[in-house]
Amino acid sequence: MKLTQLSHIPSALVKCLALCAAFLAPQAQAAKEVVTIGIGTQNTTTNTVTGGVVLKELKLLEKHLPKTGKYANIEWKLDWQNFTSGPPITNGMVAGKLQIGMMGDYPLLVNGATGQQNKGNETQLVAVIAYNAFGSGNGVVVHKDSPYYELADLKGKVVSVPFGSAAHGMMLQAMQERGWPADYWNLVSQSPEVGTTNLQEKKIDGHGDFVPFADLLPHRGFARKIFDGAQTKIPTFHGVVVRKEFADKYPEVVVAYIKALMEANDWVRKDPKLAATKVQEWTKIEKEVVYLFLGPGGIHTLDPSIKPRWVETIKIAHGVLSKLGRVKEFDAAAWVNESYLREAFKQRGQDYEAQKQTLANYDITGNDPICKVAVTRPKEAGEIWLATGEIVPVSSPSCLLAGVKQYEAAGKKVNVAYLYDKALGIKVVADKAFYALDTSNPKAPVGVPFLLKKDAEAYAAKSNGRLATFAEALGQASATVTASAK
Amino acid sequence: MSALPRIDTYPPPAAPAAPKAVSPIHVGQGVTPLPLPMPAATAPSLWQRFWQGRGATALLGALSIASVLLFWQLATHYKLDAYIRFNNIPTPAQVMEKVIEVNSSPKFVTNIGISVRRILLGFLVATALGVGLGVVIGRYRWARALAMPALEVFRPIPAIAWVPMSIMLWPDNEVSIVFITFLGAFFPILLNTVHGVQAIDPVLLRAARTLGAGEASLLRHVVLPGALPHIFTGLAVGMGVAWVSLIAAEMISGQFGIGYFTWEAYSLISYAEIALGMITIGVLGLLCSGGIRLLAKLAMPWQAHSTGAP
Repeated sequence: MKLTQLSHIPSALVKCLALCAAFLAPQAQAAKEVVTIGIGTQNTTTNTVTGGVVLKELKLLEKHLPKTGKYANIEWKLDWQNFTSGPPITNGMVAGKLQIGMMGDYPLLVNGATGQQNKGNETQLVAVIAYNAFGSGNGVVVHKDSPYYELADLKGKVVSVPFGSAAHGMMLQAMQERGWPADYWNLVSQSPEVGTTNLQEKKIDGHGDFVPFADLLPHRGFARKIFDGAQTKIPTFHGVVVRKEFADKYPEVVVAYIKALMEANDWVRKDPKLAATKVQEWTKIEKEVVYLFLGPGGIHTLDPSIKPRWVETIKIAHGVLSKLGRVKEFDAAAWVNESYLREAFKQRGQDYEAQKQTLANYDITGNDPICKVAVTRPKEAGEIWLATGEIVPVSSPSCLLAGVKQYEAAGKKVNVAYLYDKALGIKVVADKAFYALDTSNPKAPVGVPFLLKKDAEAYAAKSNGRLATFAEALGQASATVTASAK
Repeated sequence: MSALPRIDTYPPPAAPAAPKAVSPIHVGQGVTPLPLPMPAATAPSLWQRFWQGRGATALLGALSIASVLLFWQLATHYKLDAYIRFNNIPTPAQVMEKVIEVNSSPKFVTNIGISVRRILLGFLVATALGVGLGVVIGRYRWARALAMPALEVFRPIPAIAWVPMSIMLWPDNEVSIVFITFLGAFFPILLNTVHGVQAIDPVLLRAARTLGAGEASLLRHVVLPGALPHIFTGLAVGMGVAWVSLIAAEMISGQFGIGYFTWEAYSLISYAEIALGMITIGVLGLLCSGGIRLLAKLAMPWQAHSTGAP
């Protein structure tokens, strides 16, 4: 205020005054109370970015934090701390250094249970950041040159996974489901960093990991995903936990955080390409992978509501970890707190109950310029991201193959192309997928994309087709450049 | 008679008369007098004997450990919160529970065995290279000028920073782990050896040369034994640092090892297990350092151990 009045004074003097004011401020203003909010983020865990790095960089939390009424005399200080996995965040929360933290389902469970066992350090789940209702996002990758194509191929091999992570949960789940004994393979614990290097050096046979590594490593060119969390059909999600003591004392801050989170979600959905580019700039995770997760029809759906199924997931996780004696008793009902979400929805004029009921994601839309039709069936659609920066929606795998062919013939480089796995329903990278190629009509061969080789084989056997790689499918597509979508 | 005055200053005040009674015998035999008090002269008090004996050392040692345990127990029991906070630190009883729990299966002992093997391997290689290189660097100026700058660059790099490179450098992960423990032990051993070699009294070297010693026998009979006290200091420090780097090293393994045990406990937020891992590493480190001190005594029987003020 003072500064604007003095703005006609030469800038050097203004600066000097501002400095003096800064020094005098504590005495002048009846000592504003500084409250530090420690926020534990996972910048590299792509589906948590709207709860962390996006808020930080776009300063969305500052925008929503309460500054009036009983908070008039409080100065908020944000302490963003970045980690590569959930457990250190839980540690920081138990130590009282972090008030807000975000992590995947299994670490969330450990977080909740640890809090309940250390009285005075209880935490509460106040919102979800992103989910996949069938468990995709976690996955198991192998070196691209290895002869393994499904989980059973890894029998007796060395497989690493970060213990205590959502991916660890997925693997335990897969093992218990298949009735495999603990020594079915040699399951060891390696952090994403260590596991990645080991896989690259072929020192381990398989590596299970959480978002985004199971898709990032194939994108970086040395790995192949052979198991996707979607095969477990158990949801996976990342959520936000808050120290109960902090939330009770400053409920408006939690509501402000959720409102900021929802605004960040809107920001991503409004321009996913820009968001992916920005997230790459902030977190060094390639934009193609960010877009795969958070773009239209992406693997993860941004939705803050805590759906009953997610709470069930946590209970399943508790069952899995209890069996291994890794976690003690845990009261999920006391841990989940939707009141802040309801308040945030109310303040934004949105219906929380309705949001809780839906699993809808935003979809690929627009006109397919290759086959010249509108994209109407998003789960059969695809996208071509050209090196020039343009993202072209296409209506079917055939149109995508034809499009890639066209663009390459025209000398335009294709950055990445996305399709949907016919069996698992998840977005996949086209050139890493397997295809069931039906060439019975040579004029219009049909390639159906699958993430997993076995799914493509099964479909091919059923439909009189044959298994093909992207290159082979693309070769077949050459004649079909002008074929109409059908 | 010239040596006599020295004797007067030496004996404990309790037995002033004893040495005087003895000295003429020595002098009469023309032997350099040994400035030792006669043991039978006056029996020191029971307290004094105890104070100077092994019993006191053991008692003080026990007291040292017990006071740490007591502080830990009190701080966690009363949840000490005076800037330093013990609210969430596991209590000794909780850790004891874990001790019983982990010892119900042989896995924990296997973990210890594997870690000890890794440390010893890394330590042995570090000793061979550190002492060998240290003697050369300490003895020859050109070697020092050539090697030290490069080595000094590597020295401050923390063990954990080596993890990714170590995985890629070595074809086998077990070797990668040993490599990191080796790095921990290597630099203290090297630097102490260099220092030991440089600190040798040049008079000794000249004397040996005058007696016709060649370079090889000079190294063997003068330089190495002369540097030995420093080398053993280096070994003791190196052993400690090797254990310090264990968690970083065993992050690579993903299974087995006490460092891995501690790391895994962190990823599952089990504080009692973390404490147990820490204490185990501490105790193992203590045992290894003790082993080195014992070795030092055996290797340097000529060295009188100064015990310091009582």
